[in-house]
Amino acid sequence: MKSLDPTAEEMRQPSRRAILALGGAALASAAGVKTVRWATAPRAEVFVARNQRYDGTLVQTIRDGLLACDLQPQQFQGKRVLIKPNLVEPCRQIPYMTTNPAVIVAASEVFRGWGANVRVGEAPGHVRDTEMALIESGVGEALADAQLEFADLNYEAVGWRKNRGRVSPLPGIYLPQNVLEADFIVSLPKMKTHHWVGMTCSMKNFYGVLPGIKYGWPKNVLHHNGIPQTVVDINATLQNTLSIVDGIDCMEGDGPVLGSKKHMGLILVGCNLPAVDATAARIMGLVPERISYLQLAADRLGPLAENRITQRGERWQDVHSPFKILDEPNLRRLRADPNGPLVS
Amino acid sequence: MDLVTNCAALLKQQSNWGYHASGARASEPTALACLALLAHAERETALQMARWLSETQIACGSVGVSKKHEMPAWTTSLACLAWRAMEQASGTTEFGDSLKRATAWILSVQGRTLPRNPQIGHDPTILGWSWAADTHSWMEPTCLAVLALRALGQEHHSRTTEGVRMINDRLLEGGGCNFGSTVILGQATLPQMQATGLSMLALADTSTKDARIGKSLDYLERELSEKNATASFCYGLLGLTAHDRRPAQAEQQLNAIFEREVQKGPSCHKLALLLLASCPDRSWLPQIGKSPATHRSR
Repeated sequence: MKSLDPTAEEMRQPSRRAILALGGAALASAAGVKTVRWATAPRAEVFVARNQRYDGTLVQTIRDGLLACDLQPQQFQGKRVLIKPNLVEPCRQIPYMTTNPAVIVAASEVFRGWGANVRVGEAPGHVRDTEMALIESGVGEALADAQLEFADLNYEAVGWRKNRGRVSPLPGIYLPQNVLEADFIVSLPKMKTHHWVGMTCSMKNFYGVLPGIKYGWPKNVLHHNGIPQTVVDINATLQNTLSIVDGIDCMEGDGPVLGSKKHMGLILVGCNLPAVDATAARIMGLVPERISYLQLAADRLGPLAENRITQRGERWQDVHSPFKILDEPNLRRLRADPNGPLVS
Repeated sequence: MDLVTNCAALLKQQSNWGYHASGARASEPTALACLALLAHAERETALQMARWLSETQIACGSVGVSKKHEMPAWTTSLACLAWRAMEQASGTTEFGDSLKRATAWILSVQGRTLPRNPQIGHDPTILGWSWAADTHSWMEPTCLAVLALRALGQEHHSRTTEGVRMINDRLLEGGGCNFGSTVILGQATLPQMQATGLSMLALADTSTKDARIGKSLDYLERELSEKNATASFCYGLLGLTAHDRRPAQAEQQLNAIFEREVQKGPSCHKLALLLLASCPDRSWLPQIGKSPATHRSR
């Protein structure tokens, strides 16, 4: 199957065509080397849509976003697509903590429309009772109405895979059967602040593919091996990942669970998760290069630099609206504007 | 036929003893089902389950989450409860060696303690039990270990009393608890029904007189509803029942939830919890004080 992550592949193995196109002479000089690096450095596309609503035309927006990122419907024909929302610790009173069911159903509809076999899966990190997470988030009811299958990733059969990131000391990672069997894994995060690492979006959302039955509730094995390091390791180990971000009703302040609602009305789409998260960070008023796991992912898994990310749809500058972040030393320094909003 | 008869019959028919209807056999659902069937005098299937848990036990005494996965092994506590209940129900000594080795293992492992940290509300220096080896102590594995040690006659062991102290420390000021976090960066975390119910079960009959226990039971009473998820409801009801606060409408709610499960295609895990929650008291838990002296250690 064709990889959806050419940028990561390019980094590991620079494109022969790209090098040849530059000519052998250029390789001989320092300037030439710099040029080669520039030309072969990873690039990615990120689509941003504004004025989005949960009762709006999400199917159309997501479809447009995927097409704008050069994905083709036929790539998904007959393939298994696993959609991974964020249901970390759902609570009816805080619906903006978790991925809205409307976004999950809309994304599923797009891939089903393209002939894929779609399943939604999650391994909630703070909740042992997965059924409770589905009820409290409203996702269970929405999936039943849409006749979508749910995979409880916390309790299903697991397999071990070599850690392809090797940033943390973990030699390997246990993954649930539905993750191992998926042709595409789609991260469907909520755009939120995070009180330990600054922000959580597409990459951090993949903590929720690791099974609680091996890692616990919370997945403390990962914390003890370093949150930024294990975020990168998980993302390096998963193959063929995409991202569709619920940036409509977001969370600022004391995220990822107890923050306040911030309406943004955005949907972000991309095939390179570091690039998507870097764009989300810029929109939130944060410097992506200062967010530890993005820093580690840069030049390993994808580009963070603005000039390596091709913006589709809206420009991030046009939807930029700084999120309040907790007034903590480790978080203050993440702000692009030193006078950006803080909250105690 | 009533709920108990129907539920027990369905549970006996289950062959995979898993978390989900089509899930693989796993130690937690098997141990819970063993306890549930014993509570309703269904010894034959319960004995098969207890024996499977024994076969799953490895040399060091631990019982992994499944036969295929020796680690993590927080499920050892549940296996102990099942074996001990089997001993008490039938007088068998078949599981004596398994119990002895499992008890030694539970007492030999501990969650990783950490220095006090002003950013978090709970006391990370208190010793408890973790989900996975060499990680911090959390609420549910500690509750299960405390329940097992008390059933094994180890109620006065320093690890048991320290475990009880940890459970108390992780209760929220407003009542209830979650996976084991109370306050982060000055903000109180949210309670969850399953963890609260289990913690109330573990604290029943201890000498704890903390006001947060009453508040936790109030929280469970307020939240308990047939609209709850099955496991959360069952643990909530087990916690209330352990403190003699079983709601009058409990049986009606259990029936509604049982019907819902039957329609979905019930799992061993959910049926076992429903059957346990249908017990009007705590008699399904192995009785403290009836433990053979051979399991005692200090």
